[in-house]
Amino acid sequence: MNLSLEEGKFIVVLGLSGAGKSTLLNLLGGLDSPTEGTILVNGKDISTLTANELAEYRAASVGFVFQSYNLIPTLTVIENVALVKEIAPNPLSSHDMLKAVGLSDHIHQFPSELSGGEQQRVSIARALAKNPHILLCDEPTGALDSQTGVMVLGLLLSMAREMGKTIIVVTHNQNIAKMADTVIRVKNGRIEDCRNQDHPLSVEEVDW
Amino acid sequence: MLLRKLFRTLWQYKAQFISMVIMVALGVGVFLGFNVEWYSLEVNTGEIYDATGFADFRIYNDKGFTEKDLEAVKALEGVSDATRFLSMNVAVKDDTDTLALTVSENMNVSGILLMEGEPYDAASTDGFWLSDSYAAANGIHIGDPLTLTYQTITVKGTVKGLVKSSEYLICLPDSTQMMPDYTSYGYVYISPAMLDRSVPALYKMMAGSLYHQINVKSALDKAAFVELADKALGTTRLILSKDETVSWSEAQGEVSEGKTMASILPVLFLAIAILTMVTTMHRITAGEKTQIGTFKALGFKDRRIMAHYSSYALIIGLMGTLLGVGIGYWLGWFIMNPNGAMATYIDMPSWTLRAPGFTWYVLIGINAFLTLIGFLSVRRMLSGTAADALRPYTPRRMKHLRLEETKRFKALGFGTKWNLRDCVRHKARSAMTLFGIVGCMVLLVGGLGMQDTMDAFLDVFYEKAINYTTRVNLDAENMTLAEGKALAEELNGDWAASRAIQIGDKGYSLEIYSVARDKVRFADTDMRIVPLTDGGAYICARIARDHHLKAGDTLTFSPYDSDERYAVPVAGVLDSMTEGVFMTAAFADQTGIPYTVSAIFTDEAEIPEDGRVLNKQSKQSIMDSFDTFMDLMNKMIWLLVLAAVILGIVVLYNLGVMSYTERYREMATLKVVGFKDGKIGRLLISQNLWLTVIGILIGVPMGVGVLQYLLTALASEYELKLVLGPATWCVSVLLTFGVSLLVGLMVARKNRHIDMVAALKTEE
Repeated sequence: MNLSLEEGKFIVVLGLSGAGKSTLLNLLGGLDSPTEGTILVNGKDISTLTANELAEYRAASVGFVFQSYNLIPTLTVIENVALVKEIAPNPLSSHDMLKAVGLSDHIHQFPSELSGGEQQRVSIARALAKNPHILLCDEPTGALDSQTGVMVLGLLLSMAREMGKTIIVVTHNQNIAKMADTVIRVKNGRIEDCRNQDHPLSVEEVDW
Repeated sequence: MLLRKLFRTLWQYKAQFISMVIMVALGVGVFLGFNVEWYSLEVNTGEIYDATGFADFRIYNDKGFTEKDLEAVKALEGVSDATRFLSMNVAVKDDTDTLALTVSENMNVSGILLMEGEPYDAASTDGFWLSDSYAAANGIHIGDPLTLTYQTITVKGTVKGLVKSSEYLICLPDSTQMMPDYTSYGYVYISPAMLDRSVPALYKMMAGSLYHQINVKSALDKAAFVELADKALGTTRLILSKDETVSWSEAQGEVSEGKTMASILPVLFLAIAILTMVTTMHRITAGEKTQIGTFKALGFKDRRIMAHYSSYALIIGLMGTLLGVGIGYWLGWFIMNPNGAMATYIDMPSWTLRAPGFTWYVLIGINAFLTLIGFLSVRRMLSGTAADALRPYTPRRMKHLRLEETKRFKALGFGTKWNLRDCVRHKARSAMTLFGIVGCMVLLVGGLGMQDTMDAFLDVFYEKAINYTTRVNLDAENMTLAEGKALAEELNGDWAASRAIQIGDKGYSLEIYSVARDKVRFADTDMRIVPLTDGGAYICARIARDHHLKAGDTLTFSPYDSDERYAVPVAGVLDSMTEGVFMTAAFADQTGIPYTVSAIFTDEAEIPEDGRVLNKQSKQSIMDSFDTFMDLMNKMIWLLVLAAVILGIVVLYNLGVMSYTERYREMATLKVVGFKDGKIGRLLISQNLWLTVIGILIGVPMGVGVLQYLLTALASEYELKLVLGPATWCVSVLLTFGVSLLVGLMVARKNRHIDMVAALKTEE
C-alpha cells in the first residue's frame, strides 16, 4: 500500500467492513506499528518509533475522534479537553476549542449529561486542543443520528478549511466522500483507488 | 456446557478468584485457629483436671492440719473427698535447682498422671514421682537416684515414675516468675510413708503437722464451703477455691484470652473477605451482564442462570474454607503443640487439637452467606426483561461534588480530579481498599506494638527493677526477724518479708521491703521507677481497680490466720507482677504488723549453704525463662506481620485489578491521546497512595485501640502499659506504604499491555 497525503485536506477513506481502513488509520495515528514498510509524517518515519516515542508523536501531532467518543466519564467537559495540556507541547485554549464546537454553555457538565452529538463534539474539541497536524476520525458519525452526524461533519470540514488541519475520516458512508478533497477506497488491505476531487461539496450540498 | 464456562470464567478472573480464595482462607484460618486453640486448651486441661481429681477448695494453715482436722472436713455435708497435702520448695542436692516436694495422702484428690515408669505407690519409702518436663529438661531418667535437701533434712531415693500434675499445670516457684523454667524448677511427689521416714521425729514435733494444706473435692460454692469449714475447724482459715489457684485461673485465663482473640482478629479478616466478595461478585456479574442477558434471551431460566453465577461464590467459599481449615489447624497446632507457645506455659499430658462444634456451623454459615452474595449480585443483573438484561451494565452517573465549588478543587490537576471522582464514583471499591489498608495497619501496629510493650515491660520489671544478682529465699518460719536482718547484712543485701493477707474476701500478698541498697526497685503505673516512701502502703493496679482505691484512700486488710485488721493509708499505686500490697519495713513497723525476713536480694557470689537458706534464684535464670517465651512471641508477631502483608497485598491487588479493569477504556483513551505508560501508571498509583495515607491515619488510632483492648483482655494480670516505639511507627507506616506501592506498581505494569485499538472499539 503506497499512499501520500497532503496537509490541510479533508480526506475520506472508504471501504467495507474488514477492508483495512481502520488499520490504516491506526498506523497513521501511531496506535499500531506496521510489520513492514515505512510511514512518514512530515518527513519523520514513525514506523520505527518506541512506545514512548509513539506516545510523544500522538501527543504532539495527532488528534483522534472515535465512533464511541471515548471521553473520561469522571472529568467534566472542560476537564476532558484541558487534560491534553498535560502532554501536548503546543496546546490551544480549551475554552476556545469548546466555543469552536459550540459547547461553551456545557463546560461543567459530565459526559453522561450530554447527548451523543455533544459528546462527539467534546471529543473533537479535545482532539483539536492538542493543536495537531492531523485529525484522525474513525466513523465519527457512526453512533449519531443523521442530523447530528451532519453537524459533526460540518464541524470537521470547517476545521480543515478554516484551521488548515489535515482531517482523515474513515467511514463506509459514501455520501461523506462527496465532501472530501481526496477519497481513498480500500479493499482487502489494499488501496483500490485514490482520487482527488477538484470540487468537493459542502455539507449543505450533500443529499443526506 | 455451563460447567465449562464456569471454569473458563474462573480462569478469566483468576486474580479476583485467587485473591478471594486467599481472603476467605485467611478469615476462616484465623477464626478456626484461635477457636481450636482455646477449645483444645479447655478440653485438654479438662482431661487432666478430671483424671487427677483437681481439688475444688484448698484450706491453708501455717501450723498444719491434723488427721482429726481432715476427718472434720471430710464429714462436711457437700464434701465428697479430701486429702492432707504438703508442697514445699526444696533444693536438689549438688545442684542449684529447686523442686516443689509434694505429698498427698489421698491421690484421688489433686493426684498425678503417670507418663512413664511405675504407678504411684503410697507405701514406697524410696520412690520419686518426678515431673516429666523437669526430668526431660535435666536429663533425668527412670531409675536415676535423686537427693533433695531441706535445711538439715535429706530425702533420698530413685525416680520411679515420670508424671504430670494438675496442681502444677503452670509450674512457677513464686509470683515473681512469669514463665515456668523446667531447667531449674519442677515438682516431685513422694509418698506419705517416705515423708515419714525422711523427716526426723524431733523436727515433726517442732513443726507440728507437716501438712499445711487440705485439698477438698466439693460441689459447694465458696461462701457455703467457707462457712462450713470455719465452723468445723474452729478458726478462720485461708480458703481458696480452685479458680483462685494459678493452675486453674491461669489456664482458664488462657482459654478466655483465646476466646477474645477468636472474636477480634477473625472478625477483621472475615469482614474484609465478605466485603471484598460483595465488591468482587458485583464487578464480575456486571462484567458478565451481556452474557447473563444472552443466556436469558436464549431461553435459560432465571433460576438456572442464578445457580450458575451463585456457584462462583460457592466455589470461592468452599476452596477458601478448605484451605482455611488447613491454616486454622496449623495455627492451632502452632500454638498448641508440645513444643509450641502454650507448652512453654502449661504442662499438659495431651495436646489433641479440637474445634468447638459451633465453628463448623459458622463455616457453613459463611459459605451460605458468600453464596447469597453471588446470588444477589446476579439477581440484580437479571432483573427486568431479557432486553434489559442484554444491555451492558452502566455504572452510576457522575454527579458534581460539593467540593468542586471550592477554588482549591478547581486548581487541582486533572489526574487528581480524575482519581478523586473515581474514588467517589466507585465508593465500595474505595472503601474496601481503605478497609484493607486499615486492616494491614491495625495488624502491624498491634503486632509490633505488642512486642514493644513486652520489651518495655521486661526492661522495667526485670532489667531495671531487679537490681540484684541473686534472690535468696529463707526459711522464714524458723528464723527470727533479727536473724534474717543479720543475714541480709552479712550478704550486703536488701530484704523482703511476705505475708498472705485478705482484702475483703480475696487473698493477696503483703510484701514488706527494706531496700536501702537499691537492690529492688518499683515502677508506678506509668512504668517509671519510683522510690517506696514510709508514708503508707502501695497497692498494685489490679487491687486499685478491683477495690476502687487510689492514693490517699484507706486500705483495710487482715493477715490470714489472724483476726487482726489493719487500716493504712494508700501512698501510691504500682505496676506489679505480684497482685499485692507493698510497704517499707519502717512503715510496717509503725503499723505493728509482725513479719520475718523471707528473701534477701544480693550481689554476693558466696551464699552460705545452711538450714536458713531454702533456695537461691539468679536474675539470669529469671531472665532466661523469658527467652523461649519471647522467641515464640516474636514468631507469633512475625506471623501477624506476614498476615498483615498478605492481607494488604491480596485486598489491594484484587481491588487494584478491579480498578484497572474498570478504567481500562479510560486509560486506553489517555494512551491514545498521547499519555505515556509511566504517567498513566503514576496516576493509578497515586490513587492507591492517597487511600493509603487515609488508611494509615485511620489505622493508627484503631491499631492502638485494638492493642489496648488486647492488652486489657489478654494480659491484665501483667499490668502492661502500652508502648509503641519509633521503629514500630516507622515499620508499620513504611510497610503499609510499601505494600501499597508494590501492588500499585504490579497493577500499573499492566498499562503496557493495553490494546488501544481493541479498547476503543468496544461499546461504551
